[in-house]
Amino acid sequence: MLVHSRAARWGVWTVFLLLFLPLFALPLLVIVAASLSRSWSGVLPSGPTGGHYTSAVHGDALTALTTSLITAVAASLLALAAGTWAALAASGAGRRTRRVLDALFMLPVAVPSVVVGLAVLVAFSKPPMLLNGTPSIVIVAHTVLVTAFAYQSVSAALARLDPAYEQAAAGLGARPGYVLWRVTLPLLLPSLTAAAGLCFALSMGELSATMMLYPPDWLPLPVRIFSATDRGSLFTGSAVAVVLMGTTLLVLLAVSRIRTRATFR
Amino acid sequence: MTAAMSVAAPAAVDTRPAGIRFDQVSVAYGKHTVLDGLDLTVEPGELMALLGPSGSGKTTALRAVAGFVRPVSGRVFLGDRDVTALPPHRRGIGMVVQGYALFPHMRVADNVAFGLKARKSPRREIAERVAEALEMTGMAAYARRYPRELSGGQQQRVAIARALAIRPSVLLLDEPLSALDARLRSGMLAELARLHRELPDVSILYVTHDQIEALTLADRIAVMDHARLQDCGTPQELYRRPRTAFTASFVGNANLLPVTLGEEGPDGTVGAALGATRLRVHGGGAPASPGATATLCVRPHLVGLGPGPNTLRGTVAEVQWRGATHRLLVDIAGIRLKADVRELRTPPALGAEVELHFAAEDAVLLPATAAPEAVPGGGGHG
Amino acid sequence: MAEVVRRPAMARKTGGRSVSGRLWALPPIAALGVFFLHPLALVVQQSFTPDEGGTSAEPYTELFAAEVFHEALTTTVWIALASTAGCLALGLSLALVIAFVPFPGGKAVSKFIDVFLSFPSFLITLALLFLYGTTGVANGLWTGATGAATGPFDFLTTPWGVVLAEITYFTPFVMRPLLAAFSQLDTAQLDVASSLGARPLRIVRRVILPEALPALAAGGSLVLVMCLNEFGIVLFTGAKGVTTLPMLVYTKAILESDYPSACAVAVVNVLLSVGLYGLYRVVSRRAGA
Repeated sequence: MLVHSRAARWGVWTVFLLLFLPLFALPLLVIVAASLSRSWSGVLPSGPTGGHYTSAVHGDALTALTTSLITAVAASLLALAAGTWAALAASGAGRRTRRVLDALFMLPVAVPSVVVGLAVLVAFSKPPMLLNGTPSIVIVAHTVLVTAFAYQSVSAALARLDPAYEQAAAGLGARPGYVLWRVTLPLLLPSLTAAAGLCFALSMGELSATMMLYPPDWLPLPVRIFSATDRGSLFTGSAVAVVLMGTTLLVLLAVSRIRTRATFR
Repeated sequence: MTAAMSVAAPAAVDTRPAGIRFDQVSVAYGKHTVLDGLDLTVEPGELMALLGPSGSGKTTALRAVAGFVRPVSGRVFLGDRDVTALPPHRRGIGMVVQGYALFPHMRVADNVAFGLKARKSPRREIAERVAEALEMTGMAAYARRYPRELSGGQQQRVAIARALAIRPSVLLLDEPLSALDARLRSGMLAELARLHRELPDVSILYVTHDQIEALTLADRIAVMDHARLQDCGTPQELYRRPRTAFTASFVGNANLLPVTLGEEGPDGTVGAALGATRLRVHGGGAPASPGATATLCVRPHLVGLGPGPNTLRGTVAEVQWRGATHRLLVDIAGIRLKADVRELRTPPALGAEVELHFAAEDAVLLPATAAPEAVPGGGGHG
Repeated sequence: MAEVVRRPAMARKTGGRSVSGRLWALPPIAALGVFFLHPLALVVQQSFTPDEGGTSAEPYTELFAAEVFHEALTTTVWIALASTAGCLALGLSLALVIAFVPFPGGKAVSKFIDVFLSFPSFLITLALLFLYGTTGVANGLWTGATGAATGPFDFLTTPWGVVLAEITYFTPFVMRPLLAAFSQLDTAQLDVASSLGARPLRIVRRVILPEALPALAAGGSLVLVMCLNEFGIVLFTGAKGVTTLPMLVYTKAILESDYPSACAVAVVNVLLSVGLYGLYRVVSRRAGA
């Protein structure tokens, strides 16, 4: 406790709330409110309606939701596999190999997403790998972008993992593959699910790279939100945004339930 | 465990009794040598304690047997098998590590079955061996529990059961009692002694920094310090006839007195001068060259109060009542001598002049060492 | 106790999987090469291949001569710097309150921040449109109170709108490492300091800040990189007046189909942010984060 007088403490808290609520809580509330309104000119929105949601879960918007879900699930699973593999290889290798892997796999974080999109577009617009115009190019771009985060969380978890477990297993006669499958991976499960959730959320909200390369028949939610607001339909856009946030939250919640089950098993 | 029960399993461990042999084993991390030319043989069925303070190299020696550190030079043999280059999973060793490392995501029975499943033993045999190992460690009732539902002592038993289930000919125990509180520890000590009796074919390497554990359990003790083997022998030998000042003070408690040697007498005793005081002690086997310096070692409980053979005169610096005994700390010619005597009705006052004595056969002459008193872990044996 | 208490690298090396550690590293590196490194190399190659064919630095000379590029570069850098400064100031003060003037619900606030981080950035701009847009809440309050025809808030389509959105979105990225660092701080130190009569601000400056500096530096440089790379917020602002480097890449490539120029901008942007990111890695390794 840094501030001991009661009045000063209340003062600090008041300032905190005055900063925190408008900056962080209000934007999300505003979007939810807008998604339920017909118009907003003035202090409060007016014309309560559920109409935006009806359209947000029908037709194009519904397609966008499934598009986003498929993309995010595919990208996060691929990223999880690649990131886990790389993290395991890094922790098993010597110092220098690990350094190289660290640098390589964290690089996509530093490169602007737009540039990742551009690079994937340039590379896969010509044979032998002509992916431009197909959904897979979006999945490839998303996977590249989120693999770094999977790599980072699994690496951190591996560094925290007590080597005694793996050594005990090896000492009992288990081959490296058996140790990996029966001991290491199960012990990493909580971190793996956390990494998967993170990758999923990032992919669901990905806009920058997607804008560079989405094919006309594969419009994820963020692109739909953008095209809606670009047309001026802010309220429809808000409803789609709420669907995006809701879906992300639901999946994160489900993933964290799996995680608690895994830790307390 | 009866030998008749070991149905030949293809990938199973070699169950023939096998000892452990270190042949000039050195381990280094970079320039830092943590084990320096260890030569040591553990006979089949023997329990060898590796005793030493932190950083003495004892755990490194154990890890070299398990295969978790690779020696920079030297060889490790299990029986007549050179395992120096074998990966851990092909050595067939049972091991209990310090924190036990029980797999938290497996039930007790699955933990114990792990080694057998890893080598694809037949299902029936796994069930039998798991039951047997749990029975042996008294954990049969806990087979369905998860490790976090067990107490420290129970986890310890499961770890031992897990190591025994693969019927290793060699068992490595790395400070197995260090995570337990004092009361549990003495109980587990008895358990381990019983296991050792019941498994006469299993060679056990037992790493500890606790002399009581080593003295209680071991057939022989190897004393380690500064990455080197200092001494090796049965507990009795090490206690009664230590060969170095380090052993004397690390195994049991000892008074180490710097003396100058005199002539050897006709009765086989050697003269030794502690300052102006002349003493006569049995020299052991070592030839005494008159005029040389040496360290005289005498256990505190073998020092008596009052005059006798080898009388020493000094002033009482401290008196500690320890229930059944009194410990007197007496300053003699600048050296502080410890004497554990039976409880005194009227203990001497501080500063009083007292006489102490010890029998010639109760003292041991050791090579001279510098500053022998500052040895950690020497106390507590009373 | 043993001498080899915790030496994961060593232990792993001779431990389980690893004899062919390097070999196992090959497949993921190959995948990364095909899907990321090679495409990136193609971008560099394309940036030296003008539409007329051949290999030349012409796209760069053209680019460096163009007014729009200079503007984009300066806009990108100053928006990023301003946003980072804002994030550091705001993140530090908020984290200080959460950590050292704890209040009921502080846990919930930390949870909320985690959730906030999992939402896309452009939602903030979308929300700001309702809050500070011409017919939004703020202007509505003003016109309601003063009776004026229009409100005074009209900064959304200027760089300041981008700065506000970026501060809002990226501040949690500063708070997280700070909160982690604060939780390691020994509170006994603070109690001793305040029992010796030090005032809160002095304690913050003398005791807390030195401890938190590495975390602050790491968080700050991460946010700086992310601000340099931010695209969603700028795109949603929809302001013609705000062109940043990522925006320029998008405009050149998608709207103008001028790939060589787009690639040249991309290379400049990558050099800028990867350089800074390297700095971040060095700083955060020092910070032990």
